[in-house]
Amino acid sequence: MKAIWLAAAALALTGCANVEPWQRDVLARPEMSPDAAPLDGAIDDHIYFSKEASSGGRGFGGGGCGCN
Amino acid sequence: MSDKENLNAALAAATCALLGATNTAPVQASEADRWSFDTALLYYGESDDRVKDTSAAISATRDFSDERKLGLTLTADTLTGASASGAIAQDGPQTFTSPSGRAVYSTAAGEVPLDDTFKDTRFALNASWTQPLARLYTVSAGLGFSTEYDYTHIGANLLLARDFNKRNTTLSAGVSWSQDGIDPVGGAPLPLSQMLDVGNGANKAGSESKDVLDLLVGLTQVLDRTTILRLNYSFSDSSGYLNDPYKILSVVDPLTGDTIVRVPASGLQGPTGVYRFESRPDARAKHSLYAEVKHAFGAPVLTTAYRFMSDDWGIDSHTAEVKLRWPIGAASYIEPQLRYYAQTEADFYRVSLANGEPLPQYASADFRLGNFDAVTAGLKFGRSTSSGSEWSARLEYYQQSGDAPRDQIIGNQARRELYPDLKAVIAQFSYRFRL
Repeated sequence: MKAIWLAAAALALTGCANVEPWQRDVLARPEMSPDAAPLDGAIDDHIYFSKEASSGGRGFGGGGCGCN
Repeated sequence: MSDKENLNAALAAATCALLGATNTAPVQASEADRWSFDTALLYYGESDDRVKDTSAAISATRDFSDERKLGLTLTADTLTGASASGAIAQDGPQTFTSPSGRAVYSTAAGEVPLDDTFKDTRFALNASWTQPLARLYTVSAGLGFSTEYDYTHIGANLLLARDFNKRNTTLSAGVSWSQDGIDPVGGAPLPLSQMLDVGNGANKAGSESKDVLDLLVGLTQVLDRTTILRLNYSFSDSSGYLNDPYKILSVVDPLTGDTIVRVPASGLQGPTGVYRFESRPDARAKHSLYAEVKHAFGAPVLTTAYRFMSDDWGIDSHTAEVKLRWPIGAASYIEPQLRYYAQTEADFYRVSLANGEPLPQYASADFRLGNFDAVTAGLKFGRSTSSGSEWSARLEYYQQSGDAPRDQIIGNQARRELYPDLKAVIAQFSYRFRL
């Protein structure tokens, strides 16, 4: 777990990517946004929160429901 | 009754929102100073008359100039059906006192006991505000509120993000806090107390509460022109009343594994076996690590995600998810989705409690704290209209398969079903439009 975290930090610090603003045509597409379908995500989080012992990860832990 | 009316009103509002969308004004070039709406109707249904949930959600986002954004989401849920109580199957029928303490329900011979008195309506409202703070900083703050028959939730969160490296890297940090009030039907049972006859509330206390604090650190990194990576570490600390007030354990003979028979007091209805209410620790700390990669292969987009979760109740879980969005023509797409989930059981997970042995401090037979894996397979179809709106339909199948720990199975329990599979269908219809 630590190794992944360190690798990520190293990746960020070295700035491995240098995509210029004018090269962002693909990244700017709505489906490339991390939150492309927020309601789908919220619905999934709600279902899995009530049926499994894990929650969150993508964002805050979810919950706020007596279902678990 | 008023809950039902509120729900009907909310459903009507959501339906009107869906229908009214056909009259929207033509698309304008600017995205600023406009409302956009995301609406969804959801059906979740488990097989064998277990839980059914019908839900409507409407999310409204107002984009102001200067990248300031207001978001409001309203959700209404209605739940019915039976859910597993935690008690184990027997060769004969079993009778239980319902959570209200005012009636009984029964389970047929050989069947895993389900509590069919389960019914609830939930309303949730979330509001968020996002704005740039300085040239490279973005701040987002949110408030949440939800209410259901036996549960109330209030929460607040704050998230700060900073861009680096020509905005190829974003680091974010956030905090979320919530306070929930639990007011169980019939009162919160004393942990490990025995289920009593109808009308005897000696083991029930009043309402309870819990606090949850979440911390989140995230990194978003552009890897190349078509690939973006997201990593999150989150920590969640819950304290207070963490039991499920409706879950019980069977007390069994230490040799045969059969539930100890009990006779209700004369003239009263009550449980026909010895059952005890569950007891969980009053604190829980969870650590999660989440990684997501999005990659565009020309027009199709592949999203893969993985989450590892570990908590101090002894549960570890792995979740892997894959989605492939595949365009069909200029206006439509299909998106097959696959998710795999596996968790280990909590340290205090017990199939049953052996009669005569000292009671453990903590024990729960809730399947959700057991050892199981789950698969979700689904397909989403989406289509945009000439007015710039988009509708989509999603159909998914969810199946959980679990095992009772071998070393906990006593005598006759080995030949009975201890951990039934859970199968559910999830159907969702969404419509997204702008005003």
